[in-house]
Amino acid sequence: MKILGISGHYHDSAAALVIDGVPVAAVQEERLSRRKNDASFPLAAIEWCLDQAGLAPDDLDAVIFYEKPTLKFDRVLTSLLQGYPRSWRSYPKAMKNMLGEKLWVRGLIASQLGISTRKVRCIEHHQSHAAAAFLTAPTQEAAILTADGVGEWATLTVGRGVKNADGSTAIELMRELRFPHSLGLFYSAVTSYLGFAVNEGEYKVMGLASYGEPTRLDEMRRLLKPTGDGAFKLELDYFDFLGKVESGYSQRFVELFGPPRRSWQPIDLASAEGRRWADIAASAQRLLEEVMLGIASDLQRETGLSDLCLGGGVALNGVANARILREAGFDRLFVPSAPGDAGCALGAALYADRILFGRPDRAVPDHPFWGPVADAATLLRIAGEDGLPVKVADEAGLIEDVADALADDRIVGWVDGALEFGPRALGNRSILAAPHDAMMRDRLNRDIKYREEFRPFAPVVAAEHADRYFDLLPGGGRLSRFMSGVFPVRPEWAARLAAVTHVDGTARVQILERGMAPRLHALLEAYGRRSGIPILLNTSFNLAGEPIVNTVTEAYSTFRRCGIDLLVAGNVRVSKPHLTPVAILEKVA
Amino acid sequence: MGAQGLYEKPPERPDMKSVAGKRFLADPFGMLLRPLHELIWSDRERRARKLLEFAEVEASGGRDLVRAAELTSDPLLRERYLRHARDEARHADMFRARGRALSGAANGDGSGGFAHWVAPGEQGMEGLDLAREKDADLLAFLHLSESAAARDFARYAKAVGGDPATRSLFQHILRDEDHHMRYTHAELLRVAPRRARRVLWWARLRRFWKAYLRFATALAGLIAGVVLTLQYFLLLPPFAWLSKRAARRERPGWIHIETKGR
Repeated sequence: MKILGISGHYHDSAAALVIDGVPVAAVQEERLSRRKNDASFPLAAIEWCLDQAGLAPDDLDAVIFYEKPTLKFDRVLTSLLQGYPRSWRSYPKAMKNMLGEKLWVRGLIASQLGISTRKVRCIEHHQSHAAAAFLTAPTQEAAILTADGVGEWATLTVGRGVKNADGSTAIELMRELRFPHSLGLFYSAVTSYLGFAVNEGEYKVMGLASYGEPTRLDEMRRLLKPTGDGAFKLELDYFDFLGKVESGYSQRFVELFGPPRRSWQPIDLASAEGRRWADIAASAQRLLEEVMLGIASDLQRETGLSDLCLGGGVALNGVANARILREAGFDRLFVPSAPGDAGCALGAALYADRILFGRPDRAVPDHPFWGPVADAATLLRIAGEDGLPVKVADEAGLIEDVADALADDRIVGWVDGALEFGPRALGNRSILAAPHDAMMRDRLNRDIKYREEFRPFAPVVAAEHADRYFDLLPGGGRLSRFMSGVFPVRPEWAARLAAVTHVDGTARVQILERGMAPRLHALLEAYGRRSGIPILLNTSFNLAGEPIVNTVTEAYSTFRRCGIDLLVAGNVRVSKPHLTPVAILEKVA
Repeated sequence: MGAQGLYEKPPERPDMKSVAGKRFLADPFGMLLRPLHELIWSDRERRARKLLEFAEVEASGGRDLVRAAELTSDPLLRERYLRHARDEARHADMFRARGRALSGAANGDGSGGFAHWVAPGEQGMEGLDLAREKDADLLAFLHLSESAAARDFARYAKAVGGDPATRSLFQHILRDEDHHMRYTHAELLRVAPRRARRVLWWARLRRFWKAYLRFATALAGLIAGVVLTLQYFLLLPPFAWLSKRAARRERPGWIHIETKGR
C-alpha cells in the first residue's frame, strides 16, 4: 500500500511517503524551496517523494493530510466569536486565510495531484503527532504525550499506544487540553515578548534561560495555573491570541514583566536589562518544565508504562525532555527526529497505514535520513569550474585527512548521504569543528552562523565513549540519538569541551551509533585518535535565515559565503586557497 | 554580512558620474514625488522603520541571488551572483545598523508596518521561479530591478537631506546598485547577444504585469476586508453572544476525548 502524508499551510510544510508500512522518503518543503519554515502547500516535497519511489500520483492508494481543516475552522471561528468585538481586526484576515485555501484542502490536494478526492483523507493534528512519536519508536507499548501551540482544538494530549503481537496497532488518546490553554502558546508568547520570532526563536529562549535565574517564577505562575485535575489553564488576561497574533501577550503581561525586548535590541547579559530578560526566560523555562513534568508523571502513574513517546513542537525543548526522563518515572523517552509539524506528514501516513487501514505493524528504520541524497560528482564539477583546490580521496584517506584538518582547528562543511528529516543536523548536513576552545564557538558565531552569543553549539560523540564525557541518565543515550536531550558535561571535561559546553555546564549532545552514520562515526574515532577526545562540535549546515542545505550545490554556495575552511561531500573535498598576507594584498589591489 | 572570501576581488566602486548617476539628474517624476518623499522621510521613527524594512528586502534579494548562483550552469554568472549576493547582504547589514541606530534614538519598535510597495526595486525576485528562469531572463529582470532600486535610492538620498548619515548610506548603496546594473546588462549581452533587447522588453512587460497583479491583489484584499468587516458587525453579534454564553459553561482542564462530543 502506498500512502502519502502531507503537512502544511501553517509552518514547516512537508511530505512523506510510506510504502507497505515503511517510510521510503520524507522531506520538508523548505529544504527544496530554500525558504526557511516554508508553510506553502508542499508540492516540491510531494514531487520529490513520488520521484524517489518512481510513482505517479495515480499509483497512490491514499493521501493523508495531517489535520482536519473543518475542525480548525470551527476553532478559529469560535475564538473570533468569543473575542467579539475585540476580534474585529483579526476576523477579515482569518476568514480570508481560511476560506481562501485552507478549508478546502482535500480538493486542493486532489486537484494538485490529479487524483480523486476519495483518496484524500484527513486525521487530527495531535493524532499525527502521536503517530509520528509512537509508530517510529522502537517500543511495543508506550505512554504518549503530545504538546504544541495548537492543532485544531487540542493543544496537548495524553494517551497510550500498543503494537500487539498479532501485528495490530492501537493509539488511544485519552484526554486533551484545548485552545487557548496551551503550553506551546505560553512559551511562544514569552518568545515574542523577548523579541524573538514565534515558531523560530523558542530555542533561543531555552538558550537564554541558562544565563538567568528563575526569579520571576511566582509572577510566571500567575499566567498559567493548575486546574485541580492535573492540567492547567492560561490566565487569558495576560495573553492576546486574537488582537496580536504575532505576539500573543497582552498589555497586562507587559505591566507584570516590564517593557518587552525589541527584536533589534542586543542582549547584553552584563546589563540589568539583559539579566531581566534572561531571568524571564529562565522563569518561563522552569514553569514549562514543571508543567510537562507534572503531566508526564501523572501519565506514568496512570499507565504504569516504562516508555514515553513525546511529540509536538514542545518536544524540541531538550531541557524539559531531560527533566522528564530524570524525574517522571519513565525508563525511556522517545522523541522523533521531527517532532514538530513537519513530522506530522510521516505520522499521518503511518497512522493511516496502521490504524485507518489496519495493516500490520512493521519496524520503522531508526534513523532520520529520509531526504534527497547528496551527489558528490556535482561538487567535483563546480569546484573545478571555479578553480578551487579539489581532491578526490579514498574513504579511509579522506577521513584521516578531514580529521587532520579538524585537529588543525579548521572548520569543515560535511555533506554525506541522505538529508535529515527534522530541524536538527544529525550528521549528514553538518558543520563540524573542534569542540575544545571557546574561541571556536566565537569564531563560528562571528564568521559562519552570525548568531547570538548566548546560543550554545552542540557536540556529537561516538556512542561508545558518551558516558565518559557526559553525565547521562539511564535512557539518556536513546534521548540523545536525535539530539533531543540536554545533559551535564562531566566537570572534569568541561574545560576541554568549552566550545560545546553551555554556561550552565550542559550540552545538547548527539550520541552517534556507528550504524546510523558510519562515516561520521569513523571521523569521530579518527579525530579522537588525534585529540584524545572523540567528540566534535556539530551545528547545522546553513547560514542565518536559511534552511539547512540539501544539495551539494547549496553546500558549496554556503561554503563560498562564510568562514568554512573545507567542504566534504562523499569522497570529494574542496578547500579554500590559503593566501599569504602578501597574496591577499595583491588580490585586493 | 560576515567574512567574505579573501581571494575574491571586491566589487568595483564607480563614482556618481556614472551612467545611472547622470540619469538621476534628469528625473522629472522624481521631482514631482519629492515633496511626498520628504514628508515620508522627515519623521525619524518612520525613517527607521523603512530602513529596517529595506534591510529585509535586501537580505531576501541576497538569498534569491544565492539561489540563482546555485542554479545556474554558467560558472561566470555563479561568481557574479555570489558577489552580488554578498553586496545585498552587506546592504542589509548597513540598512539594519542605521535603522537600529535611528530606532534606538526614536524608541520605536523597529518592526515592519509599511506596505511593501514602498520597498525599492519592488520585491527583489519575489514571485520569480528561479528554477525555471533562463539566465538571460533572470539577468534582464535583475537589471531592471537594480535600475528601479537605484532610481528609488537616488530619490531617497535627496529626500533625507537633513540626515547626512542616512543620505551617505543611500549614496554608498547607490554606487553598488549602479555596478549591479552595469554587470547584469553586460552579462545579458554576453549570454544572449542577439536577444538582449527582446529579453529586456519581455522583462519590462513581466514587471508591469506583476505590478498589476500586486495592485489587483491588494485591491481585492481591501474589498474583501471591507465586506468581511461589515459582515462582522452586522451578522455576527447574535452568534457571538451565543458563543460567549457557551464558553462560560466550559470547564477548564482535561477534556476526555471519548466524551468531548465531536
